[in-house]
Amino acid sequence: MAMTAVEKVLARASGVTSVKPGDIVHPVPDFIMIHDGVVMGAKRELDALGIDRLAAPEKVVMVTDHDVIYGSAGAAERGAYNRRAARQWGVERFYDVGRGGHGHIFPMESGMLLPGMFYFDNDRHATNAGAIGAFGFRMGAEISRVLATGTNWVMVPESLRLRIKGTLKPGVHARDLGFYIAGLVRKGRLKLDLDYRVVEFAGDLGQFNLAARAALCSSPTEIQAYGVFFPPSDGILAYAKRRGKRPYTPVFPDADARYEADVELEVSGLEPQIALPGGVQNTVDVSEVAGTPIDHAFIGSCGSGMYDDLVAAASVLKGRQLAPGVRLFIAPGSEHSTQRIVKDGLMQIFLEAGAVLLPAGCGPCNDAVIGPVHSGEASISTAANNNTGRFGAKDARLYLGNPTTVAASAVAGKIVDPRGVTPAPEVLKLAEAA
Amino acid sequence: MSSEFRWVLKGRCYKLGHDVPHAGGVIPNRLIVARQFDPKELVRHLFEETDPGFHERCRPGDIIVAGRNFGMGPKMNGYIAMQALGLGLVCESMPFLAYRAAIGVGLRVLTDCPSVTTICGAGDELEVDFESGHFANVSRGVSREFPPLPDALREIVELGGNSGWLKRWWENRETPMNADGRQ
Repeated sequence: MAMTAVEKVLARASGVTSVKPGDIVHPVPDFIMIHDGVVMGAKRELDALGIDRLAAPEKVVMVTDHDVIYGSAGAAERGAYNRRAARQWGVERFYDVGRGGHGHIFPMESGMLLPGMFYFDNDRHATNAGAIGAFGFRMGAEISRVLATGTNWVMVPESLRLRIKGTLKPGVHARDLGFYIAGLVRKGRLKLDLDYRVVEFAGDLGQFNLAARAALCSSPTEIQAYGVFFPPSDGILAYAKRRGKRPYTPVFPDADARYEADVELEVSGLEPQIALPGGVQNTVDVSEVAGTPIDHAFIGSCGSGMYDDLVAAASVLKGRQLAPGVRLFIAPGSEHSTQRIVKDGLMQIFLEAGAVLLPAGCGPCNDAVIGPVHSGEASISTAANNNTGRFGAKDARLYLGNPTTVAASAVAGKIVDPRGVTPAPEVLKLAEAA
Repeated sequence: MSSEFRWVLKGRCYKLGHDVPHAGGVIPNRLIVARQFDPKELVRHLFEETDPGFHERCRPGDIIVAGRNFGMGPKMNGYIAMQALGLGLVCESMPFLAYRAAIGVGLRVLTDCPSVTTICGAGDELEVDFESGHFANVSRGVSREFPPLPDALREIVELGGNSGWLKRWWENRETPMNADGRQ
């Protein structure tokens, strides 16, 4: 039977020849990810049941990315608890403070997550796996059952196909397209119900490298998509091959796979987008809000934390200074990227501009444990979303843009169209080919 | 599996409309924010903001019948209260994570029951078999066949939700090891 890409991934992991939407399967994951914010809840739940060992501790990947440098005594206590939990459970793949970075970015960069793989994650941003052609499944609190038994039930989701037609204009970023798609869905102009659906991209995808694909995984997730998938390009297969530490089999959809919906989207006319406060779907062309003063800026998160996002921001910041009164935080997606920006000179550009570098991880995007906003302030960032209160104060106005829009706006002290700033060509050359 | 588990509920219809949010529409938001999962604490707050005293008037076996998009998110606090009160839930649709949360706390639930709100009214006597999907409005003499709870999920509901399922799984896993020294 013809299958979509994610159906193939689930069939392989479940040891069956085919699956269809609505089937309930118990896939065996390639690994199991759990982040620092939820280890305590899962451990206490299992301890209360007397479950003192995990089904496959060697598959468990613990990641400290939500509260990396402990802004509070409670966070330090949780860090200590997590280290004890890792010892008691026998989890050796513990990417603690300063070791890995953002759990939805460094596994792709390090060759842990490879095309065709399936994994369980407590966090919904596991959807980023689709950038490299894999599928991560969000378990929420039910990650405890996966830890204890090695699997959990999965109802095979419906897949939708979104065919991209045309090429983004220079200066328009994949993140803009993600915001735009969220806006079209919420306005009803793309008639798609994303609840528990997988969005499979197709069409003119050659223009999107891994970082761009990760950026495109972000916004659908914020409006309830459960998965996003890109058929890996030759460039991405080569990227994975260079890094892969274990065997894997890339997956592609069958030509006659069945999709719940199949829509085409022309993208060549798209302008840089801004998501207005309240949600990623509140999108407008940047020209509509240009001039809005800002106090706070942030570059990073699962949607814009790849090395190329840092390159894009640095290309705009090179030789420029932040506007007086504006603070800009930058959180690389991985410790590897942090090392790389030092080596490549991007760190110097950020520091000379007046930006502050945060440890690799989620940055303020996790409940503002670091770098929050104050009441009444305005922020522009590449955060996963701008829901009310995401960066602390509930009456702060949170705007979203692509990494160059955020960098250029931090320099101007107000929201600007990044195409008005000439990027440094020698910085742009550092971007990944794939 | 517990053979005495009641898959058929007989009780009165408690009817709700479309797009009922979990926060406020099912249970006060403060209990969700406080991560209150204790059934004893939750039951008296079920539908508190829309129908104070509901928990005193409802009876085990009563069935909540709701329209489209019930619950509107992944929260589970209200389903814990419904389960503890012995109620069932039948709705036209609910977001997948709301459904998953309801199964996870052991609630007898049917979703994807199109137009169910048009064949019953508040107080009608209903009889619903959550194992087969048979829905009968005894007062009006009408019935429908809806998608049943999938086979693979029945055990979770029978055992009272994820926690009960995990407890049973762990006990069964231990027993043969204790009995004959190997697994």
